[in-house]
Amino acid sequence: MADILLIEDDPLVRRGLELALSRHGHHIRAAATGEDGLADFEASRPDLVVLDLMLPGVDGFTVCSRIRSADQTPVIMLTARGDDFDVVGGLEAGADDYVVKPVQPTVLDARIRAVLRRGNGDGHGVSVHGALRIDTTALTVTLHGEPVALTPNEMRLLLTLSRAPGRVFSRQQLLEAVWEHDYLGDSRLVDNCVQRLRAKIETDPAAPLYVQTVRGFGYRFGPL
Amino acid sequence: MRRIWSAAFALLLAGCGVQPSEVTDGGTAPTGVAPGVTLYFVDEQGALVPSERDTGRLGTIADALALLLTGPGDSDLRTEIPSGDVTRVTVTVGEDVVELRVPLAADEVTPLGTDQIVCTALAAHVQAGGSAEVKARVHFTLPEPDSDALRTCPLTE
Amino acid sequence: MSRRPLPRGLRARLIVAFALVTMLGAGAASWASAESASDALVDSSQRRLTEDFAERIGAIAPTLTYPPDQETLDRLRAAVGPNTTVTYEDLRSSEGPHADLITDELLDAVGDGDRIATQRITDDGPWLLIGAPVMITAPDGTRTPSGIEVYAVRDLAEVHRQIAALASSAIGTAGAALPLSVLVALIAARSVLRPVRELRDTARRLADGDLDARTPPLGADELAQLAVTVNEMAESVQGSMAAMGRMQADARRFAADVSHELRTPLTTLTAVAEVLEDASGGMEADAAESARLAITEIHRLVRLVEDLMEVSRFDAGTVHPRLEEVDLAEAVRDSLRARGWLDRVETTGPETIRLRADRRRLDVIIANLVGNALRHGAPPVRIDLSASETHVRIEVTDHGPGLSDQALPHVFDRFYKADNARTRTPGSGLGLAIALENARLHGGDLTAGNADGGGAAFILRLPIGSEEP
Repeated sequence: MADILLIEDDPLVRRGLELALSRHGHHIRAAATGEDGLADFEASRPDLVVLDLMLPGVDGFTVCSRIRSADQTPVIMLTARGDDFDVVGGLEAGADDYVVKPVQPTVLDARIRAVLRRGNGDGHGVSVHGALRIDTTALTVTLHGEPVALTPNEMRLLLTLSRAPGRVFSRQQLLEAVWEHDYLGDSRLVDNCVQRLRAKIETDPAAPLYVQTVRGFGYRFGPL
Repeated sequence: MRRIWSAAFALLLAGCGVQPSEVTDGGTAPTGVAPGVTLYFVDEQGALVPSERDTGRLGTIADALALLLTGPGDSDLRTEIPSGDVTRVTVTVGEDVVELRVPLAADEVTPLGTDQIVCTALAAHVQAGGSAEVKARVHFTLPEPDSDALRTCPLTE
Repeated sequence: MSRRPLPRGLRARLIVAFALVTMLGAGAASWASAESASDALVDSSQRRLTEDFAERIGAIAPTLTYPPDQETLDRLRAAVGPNTTVTYEDLRSSEGPHADLITDELLDAVGDGDRIATQRITDDGPWLLIGAPVMITAPDGTRTPSGIEVYAVRDLAEVHRQIAALASSAIGTAGAALPLSVLVALIAARSVLRPVRELRDTARRLADGDLDARTPPLGADELAQLAVTVNEMAESVQGSMAAMGRMQADARRFAADVSHELRTPLTTLTAVAEVLEDASGGMEADAAESARLAITEIHRLVRLVEDLMEVSRFDAGTVHPRLEEVDLAEAVRDSLRARGWLDRVETTGPETIRLRADRRRLDVIIANLVGNALRHGAPPVRIDLSASETHVRIEVTDHGPGLSDQALPHVFDRFYKADNARTRTPGSGLGLAIALENARLHGGDLTAGNADGGGAAFILRLPIGSEEP
């Protein structure tokens, strides 16, 4: 289904996840250290990275940042603790989603599929909002004519919001629409993704034009 | 508690001020009254004897000596003091000594006469409440050696 | 007369006692000196009056005719002074105004003796009575009563006034000592009370949990010994507490470490369990059943370890709620739906209750309460929602046998199993303990009891919380 790079130091966990995810139809490459993982990433350019945060040597946060600075490949973190410290650090490093060990392979598979899904073009073709041009068929975005590289999650978030300009989406709604999480999803995923999206499309991220915050409720697109 | 305090206070107050007392001794009773005065003369045997003279009161030592100098009068007694016109004797009562200044010269008076003067003066002194230990000194107008020695009455020794 | 209550407080009592002792001492000393002074005063004035009396009689006596006549007696009386009476046998001089004060005892003493007699009386003021026989002394010194007797009454009012002045000055002296004694008492009280107050402060700090509190012992008196003892006590309590705290921390860290270490193998087990489950269709019957048993136990183990981790986080105090606006009815429905309990649980109450809560933790509470009711109670299980101005109330009841009196105090204990049979249930044994911790984390409370119908009833109260700032 997808080419996945699994970076995990424990050999048994690595092998177990490899077995399980393979059964869900994914093609798995595995690396035991951060250095190996990054080298493998450069060599193979996978569709998605599943990354353990607690790695010897170069840790998961650093690996995540390096990957994110290279291109828009989605990253799902494996956290051993589920502690807020790890989650916040991982999201700030640019992770798209996270799962807590021990994770059921079906859950991990669902997250992988959700993160990889770029959103379906709804046939409207091109929509233009000020300097922002969104091609919903080709799934490309340009700002002042310059192409903007978005991760799949950022793309889906932008599509979801821009489909109904002015409508307020709660974090819960966005979690379900973009991440396909259940009702207990972590709203910090939304806030982090919004920040990254703003950094890419807003002229002044501190005074956003396109993705605006509605205090106490959530986010909306525009109105311009 | 309150009762103890008031008792203590009452005791404190009662301690102050003049307290009534039993009859207590106040010393020797005064003396000095007498029906008369005692003079000393010489009897027929030449002995010194007291003689009561009923004057109605004791009087002073000077009074007694004045009476002595006037003589025994019409009694069986005689005196060895020569009689003279002047009977005035100056008496000074000191602490231990009674000083007598008699209008007589020492050679006019016999020793017995001197004893008469001394005994009469000391008797009057004692009777007036004076001390029995007091001695007398007789000053004559013309003294002789030792004539002004301290003397006592030989009868009371 | 109502008694005033004795002064309370060590300071007041010390000062009063000190002042009283000082006053008593000063008073006694002044009183004693005033007493001896007044005795001396009375004696001397009495002697003076008596001597004067005797001298006056002695001076005039040689001039008196004897036996005396009336005129002689009057002369003698005049010579002795006013308030004098002179008698001789049946004769009697004219009398002074106080002649009637002469007592019979004095008359007897004078009549029988040959000495002067005196007596003090206090009828109508203090008086000195003097009486004396006048003696006749023979040339050889023998004395006989003359029969003349002289009596005089002398006023002692002046002496009395002097004594009163002495007494009042004594009282004044004692009074003057009062401020000084209070001052000294204050200083003494301070020196005694300061260590007492320090000890009290130390004891209070110890009681409030500040085990570092100590009192530096000053000097070597009983208070210093007490301070040393208190310090030793605090030392040993502190030692025990520290040891206990260490043991407790060790135990908690051990639980956290164990559950954390268990996660890694559990991750592998969870991953391969699914593979095993898919493959079990092709196995022999007993192998397939074994695989399913292993998978079930793996899921239980995962659940247990997650609950242990959660409890460890509460013990370590590292739990912070992420509060957000929550629709209560919706949250309850979501919880039930996610676990497939919607058709087994009946929910009543208004749809419009909103509160600020941590969604995930609220879900944990509801899931644990409902799960507990479904496992241990009997259907129907009900959830009643209600709200006041400040709190929401969530009551979960079942229709089972309810909680026994024995079990009631322990339902929130960790790993407490109500049934002696220790029936193996899917629960970790930590669910209710975690639910209670989560309720408290929200500033709310969770209580257990029995419903009127006989089933168990768990009541959760959570504060509605303030609006987002």
